[in-house]
Amino acid sequence: MKKFVALFLALAMMLTLFAACGKKDDGGKDVDKPSGEVSAEQINVCIASEPDTIDPALNSAVDGATLIAHLFSGLAKWEQDDSGKLEIVADAATELTEGVENEDGTVTYTYTLRDGLTWSDGQPLTANDFIFAWNRAASQELGADYGYMFEVVDGYAAMQEEGATDAKLNATAVDDKTIEVTLTTAVPYWNELLAFPTYFPVREDVVENEAWATDPATYVSNGPYKLAAWEHNSLITLEKNDSYYDADAITMKKINFYLSDDANNMLANFKNGDWQLIDDVPTNEIASLKEEYPDEFKITGQLGTYYVCWNINEDILPEGSDLSGVEAEAAREEIRNAISLLFDRNYIVNDVAQGGQVPASSFVAMGLTDADGSTEFYQNAGHNDAFDGYYDVSQDALQSNYDSAVETLKKYYKFEDGKFTDFPTLTYLYNTSEGHKAIGEYLQSALANIGINMTLENQEWNTFLNTRKEGNYSIARNGWLADYNDPISFLDMWTTASGNNDVQFGKGDNATMAHYSLDLTAQGYEDVKVENGTWAETYDVLINKIKTCTDDTVRYELMHIAEDMLMSTGCLCPLYYYTDLFMISSSVNGYFSNPLGYKYFMYTTISE
Amino acid sequence: MNSKTAFYIVKRLALALLTVWVVITVTFFVMHAVPGGPFLSEKAISETAMKALEAKYGMDKPLHVQYFTYLKDIVTKFDFGPSLKQRGRTVIDIISDGMKTSVKLGLVAAFIALVSGVVLGAIAALRRNKIIDKIIMVLTTAFVSMPSFIMGVLLLILFVIQLKWLPGNGNAKGGLLLPIITLSLYPMAYITRLTRSSMLDVLGQDYIRTAKAKGVSKWKIIFGHAMKNSLIPVITYFGPMLAYIVTGSIVVEQIFAVPGIGRQFVSSIINRDYPMIMGTTIVLAILIVVMNLVSDILYKVVDPRIKLD
Repeated sequence: MKKFVALFLALAMMLTLFAACGKKDDGGKDVDKPSGEVSAEQINVCIASEPDTIDPALNSAVDGATLIAHLFSGLAKWEQDDSGKLEIVADAATELTEGVENEDGTVTYTYTLRDGLTWSDGQPLTANDFIFAWNRAASQELGADYGYMFEVVDGYAAMQEEGATDAKLNATAVDDKTIEVTLTTAVPYWNELLAFPTYFPVREDVVENEAWATDPATYVSNGPYKLAAWEHNSLITLEKNDSYYDADAITMKKINFYLSDDANNMLANFKNGDWQLIDDVPTNEIASLKEEYPDEFKITGQLGTYYVCWNINEDILPEGSDLSGVEAEAAREEIRNAISLLFDRNYIVNDVAQGGQVPASSFVAMGLTDADGSTEFYQNAGHNDAFDGYYDVSQDALQSNYDSAVETLKKYYKFEDGKFTDFPTLTYLYNTSEGHKAIGEYLQSALANIGINMTLENQEWNTFLNTRKEGNYSIARNGWLADYNDPISFLDMWTTASGNNDVQFGKGDNATMAHYSLDLTAQGYEDVKVENGTWAETYDVLINKIKTCTDDTVRYELMHIAEDMLMSTGCLCPLYYYTDLFMISSSVNGYFSNPLGYKYFMYTTISE
Repeated sequence: MNSKTAFYIVKRLALALLTVWVVITVTFFVMHAVPGGPFLSEKAISETAMKALEAKYGMDKPLHVQYFTYLKDIVTKFDFGPSLKQRGRTVIDIISDGMKTSVKLGLVAAFIALVSGVVLGAIAALRRNKIIDKIIMVLTTAFVSMPSFIMGVLLLILFVIQLKWLPGNGNAKGGLLLPIITLSLYPMAYITRLTRSSMLDVLGQDYIRTAKAKGVSKWKIIFGHAMKNSLIPVITYFGPMLAYIVTGSIVVEQIFAVPGIGRQFVSSIINRDYPMIMGTTIVLAILIVVMNLVSDILYKVVDPRIKLD
């Protein structure tokens, strides 16, 4: 009898379990979830978790930009030619025209829109939609992260003045199909800006509804795809827009963007074949994945640098040092630069970061080109023939770098038994993450080798951003990704007033430090010759000159001078150039990504 | 329901309101005291843009003004404000999206824990000191002592990475199975142990012996007398269990990438999305307060001897 009771109870339990499972599956049926369904008609990818926004003006993230690049069509777009080379071609515009220089030095571009362009709801697309979108994106009122992308357009500066509500960009719709836009000066990366999501059109009556970009029912776009469904935090589905002018060239009918930021979870779905592309892999799996999936594990370059930045106002001279003012700053520069030589960047990329990164010897990242458009900017940096950049980061140079660093440091610190004894203790600040921690620990051990104590302090992301921005640190982890292929995007962030000036150049004690020199007479600027000026009198002036310079050769020369100035302070210690790691199934053809990391699936096909 | 019970419920509701108000107040000021802000990002926006944004969301006003505005909006309009991070969406909208998933997850987990816990506990009690009792006891001890973040990761490694039986993503088909199991194991084990000990306790009571002596059938004794009375401790555990499931889901949703309110709660804190932090905290607080109240009232329904005061 007892046995029977036990058996009955066990059976009841099993049944309830089944009932519960069954119920759950029913819940899953109300939405069409294609996970696991692999067909030639659709591609399943996972590039990130829920995007903050897919409003072209508000977006500032790479994952959002990827979505927007599929949903919208600007005047220009990125494309891959037959040989696999990336290029920027006309999209909504019939052609990407040359600018016409005006008497006052401004440059006017005129674009004609293609015939018959429409929005995804069938309404015609007009030149006014572009003008409206640009003014909206650049406005103070919207406060978009990337509002400054319009700073090259005439009228932008006036729009940013306090209380300037009526100011507009100098861009007009001559008629329904003609756009005329005036730039303050010729900008070499203008076409690239036109292909940037912030420059994509939106329609006034659509965006009046503040929530327009959160719901497929109100999301009106003009690109190769339509937003078909958005299950928040779960899945975004794009379906081909048949009214797109070049719809015939779009091969992929449906793209499912799964929303997840869990690298383990992504990998599991990639391995079982559900997802064809994942944009992240667990760091500790990188080595084995490279072996296991030699054709599917990909590493591509990115326009970015991982670096360590010093707070320029942090005193690192030994206690009792009799140096002060400008002399002390000169000594600190020498010390910081010496410390930059102590790190083995090959070890960092090969054994710590392990993501195929490239050891960095300059702040402006690999991948950005010089004036000729083909040589790399960093290869011409640092003024020496023996190696690229500001220091030799090859394995062979390790010992000589170390020796010269120790020699320099000996000038300022006591050196006994291979250790410096009076170097003040440093604190390295990083945001909580295993990867950053591992790098911090390496830097710590490299410094400990010569007796320099560095403690590690980690802060949660948002707190970290705040601390670093306020300059409440001595050394911090940092990183920068360019918005377009032009070194200025690495250089203008270090002007005194810039919100990204984490080093605190020209702020605090450094504001009055008359230590910097700038001589641009050789570049044709007779009036720019400053000796022992402040950061504001030199670097800020230099950036201003770069931004208004119209001669490309001179402009690039000026940019090299700017990077020289930055690097001579020793406040930026580049460690490696970023790479983008992802996995793509070998069944996918026709995929490409651009240097900014946007991924393009419209021309993909899937072979079964 | 007599007037005493009604008074008790009213009193408890008033206390619940007070609790929620304290939670709102503490969260509001602590949240603003934490460094950082919603508009900080790796690429800083200009000072003017920052000021314009702060003005737009009323963050340029003194903190106490913001606090009273917030309270007023909730009380008079039930308006939790817009999300600062997911621009264009309201907090209510985002939370109700997350709740759909979380409620499903939580209810199924609670149901499984309750049913299988009671059944296993009863089996263990009836088969006391037999092999099946020992197996159940060893397993439940293990489950009770293992926190959900360890259990979740273990299950993930076993079923997703190694065996590849189930998806590791809460969105995929069958993706909620693992989070449900992770969430239900601890309360299930706890309920099993509770049921077992109270069942053993009840089975030793005089009235059971009397029933046996009167020749009442074994079935009737178990279901008619023993079961009902041995469930009282389980019902007292009902409230804490739901609280556990609500808070446990914060971790479990993170592990299995389940798009629920727990995950929204964590990401809102990382993003300093102030209205979202407040919204999720309030919803979670209300859930826990209400669940505890319900379980206290149920307690009285099951056992009339218990006085509410």
